[in-house]
Amino acid sequence: MEELSSKHLLGIKDLNPADLELIFSTADNFKEVINRPIKKVPSLRDITIANLFFENSTRTKLSFELAEKRLSADVINFSAAASSVSKGETLIDTVNNILAMKVDMVVMRHPHPGAHIFLSKHIDAKIVNAGDGAHEHPTQALLDAYSIREKLGDVKGKRVAIVGDILHSRVALSNIFCLQKLGAEVMVCGPPTLMPKYIESLGVKLSYKLDEALEWCDIAMMLRIQLERQGQPLFPSLREYHNLYGLKQENLDRLKKVPVIMHPGPINRGVEISSEIADSEYSIILNQVENGVAIRMAVLYLLASAA
Amino acid sequence: MKVLLKSVKIVDATNPQNGKIVDILIKGGKIEKIGKSIKAETGLKVIEEKGLCVSKGWIDLQANLQDPGYEHKEDIQSGLKAAAAGGFTKVCVSPLTEPVRDAKDQIQYIIKQSSESAVELLPYASLSKKAQGDELSEFYDLKQAGAVAFTDDRNSIKNPNLLKNALLYSKSMDALVMNFPYQTDISPNGVVNEGEQSTLLGLKGIPKLAEELMVKRDLYLQEYCGGKLHFSTLSSAKSIDMISTAKKAGAAVSCDMASYQLLLSDEELSSYDTRFKTLPPLRSKDEIKELIKAVKQGKVDALSSNHLPEDIDSKKKEFDLSSFGVINLQTAVPAAITALEGKVDLADVISLFTDGPARILEIDQPKIAEGETANLTLFNPNEGFIFEKEDVLSKSQNSPFFNRNLKGKVYGIISGNKMELQD
Repeated sequence: MEELSSKHLLGIKDLNPADLELIFSTADNFKEVINRPIKKVPSLRDITIANLFFENSTRTKLSFELAEKRLSADVINFSAAASSVSKGETLIDTVNNILAMKVDMVVMRHPHPGAHIFLSKHIDAKIVNAGDGAHEHPTQALLDAYSIREKLGDVKGKRVAIVGDILHSRVALSNIFCLQKLGAEVMVCGPPTLMPKYIESLGVKLSYKLDEALEWCDIAMMLRIQLERQGQPLFPSLREYHNLYGLKQENLDRLKKVPVIMHPGPINRGVEISSEIADSEYSIILNQVENGVAIRMAVLYLLASAA
Repeated sequence: MKVLLKSVKIVDATNPQNGKIVDILIKGGKIEKIGKSIKAETGLKVIEEKGLCVSKGWIDLQANLQDPGYEHKEDIQSGLKAAAAGGFTKVCVSPLTEPVRDAKDQIQYIIKQSSESAVELLPYASLSKKAQGDELSEFYDLKQAGAVAFTDDRNSIKNPNLLKNALLYSKSMDALVMNFPYQTDISPNGVVNEGEQSTLLGLKGIPKLAEELMVKRDLYLQEYCGGKLHFSTLSSAKSIDMISTAKKAGAAVSCDMASYQLLLSDEELSSYDTRFKTLPPLRSKDEIKELIKAVKQGKVDALSSNHLPEDIDSKKKEFDLSSFGVINLQTAVPAAITALEGKVDLADVISLFTDGPARILEIDQPKIAEGETANLTLFNPNEGFIFEKEDVLSKSQNSPFFNRNLKGKVYGIISGNKMELQD
């Protein structure tokens, strides 16, 4: 059987194009499975997976849990709010305590960048990154690329504009890495206050004008504005953000060719995207959600079945 | 103590005998004779090693020995051992202990603790009470007790009025004021250099701007107030340029850099190794080139260790949550020799640890000359070594240099009647 080149999924950074293709072809199989009347396969029977969420999540957690259950894994859930983390326990201690109960894999979301890489040096289990601060969110990037591939046939040569809060976004970073590895061109667009100063060193195009980005791209990926990650406000108001960077019908009206519209969710309707567009024929937002389960099944399956 | 140094090369930019190979006879803590083929009388300890060099005793401008308060990280005795092994005969110690060193009995504690050692500790006192940045500490009383300068160390002085008053007040007793320039508001919660690496790693960046803004402000304040102002542990070539320009215009300002800043770049951080989490942060490879150029042009007055021991529990953490700092007393000069090899003349590198700090602190350093007190460091600049965990004499293990080739092995120090040789 083919295997991934990495023991963990810590970030897209560690994967090569062959890994990405393997994940996609595996996801193709699982997508077929989850559309059957009986959606469950026994692939991960006797594998125990701990979902450790040190940061709030609804859909990523649900999506992982569903993927695990469809693969017949045993699942335990842990969230930081109800844990001993607030009592001062270190991350390594918390995870080792859970692993002592014979857990095989860890799916973790953590507020600090690099937490998974740190953990991988100190614990034995396989680790899947479900988001680490403003660093990576690899399964999101995989499901996004998978959705583009599904919609447009191929990712190679496509132009993808990522619009919004790039500074605080792990989705943006993972997508940049993933799309570039697959041969797509990437542009980032958003207010300069939400843009890392050195973003162009990653080989992406940069624009501060939404219309310019829309004109250029085949796919527009609208990011959620994450007010909770900002200290001092980096733009004056949500209203102003919507006026300047929100995707509205009038933006599309100015275009010759309307791009495919994506969004990692959850959507702030009326902020980064207007309702009519989120629900329009151009949007593949719900396909992304469906593909998320298939991609996560593929990742868990490939990691669990590797030596 | 009677010692004969056989065939040692003098490395001392200000010495007429710089570069000469000589024998040096030391008796009763003084250099009795410098010459060729001095005979070894009985009862004399003879030191003879191939390639051995001798310089004035090295001075470190910036070390934190964590004592009192954090003795599990380092204490005075372990710090002294590390300093001696690093070739230092004098070490300036940070006031950021627990309690903060803002009273004269704490100054006396440091001086007394090191009285038996070949390494002399020169205590800094905090500039503000408890280093909280509000009220001036008692400069006069502290200076009388032996404080060599006033600094809040890595608690940069945010309030310009406090620095203004410190500079003004320092003039009544010719005290030296120091600041580590870091405007935190411009980059809240920054943990690494802002650049390509911080972007790749998703870590919050600290731009050079955070340093340069405060350097600029402080230069204005110094121009307005007078007084002597030293900038500690810089990391931006632009800051160094601004200071150099002010110096040329006659301002009483000076600056130092941590030696590792010349050797390690932010590319070391690719796997989030917290041993490379320092303040100021490790900068880019391009900036290192500029920093080395600044050293070459003589714009940097001194290099320092910026030794900051941190225990494993403070470092074995998520990157954001781990403590800043590295241990560097044992490796400070080798790091500088390694970084500057082939770029800056060795005697000039060594003077950044001898004449440079002595000028900043306005202390008399004994010359390498007959009749002078022996205050010497013995080393071989061409001998390479690999710094290993087992070599660490500090109580903490947060060295960025493990398994790395460094050049410049220290053989020992002689300070008056005291001598400490390494194995």
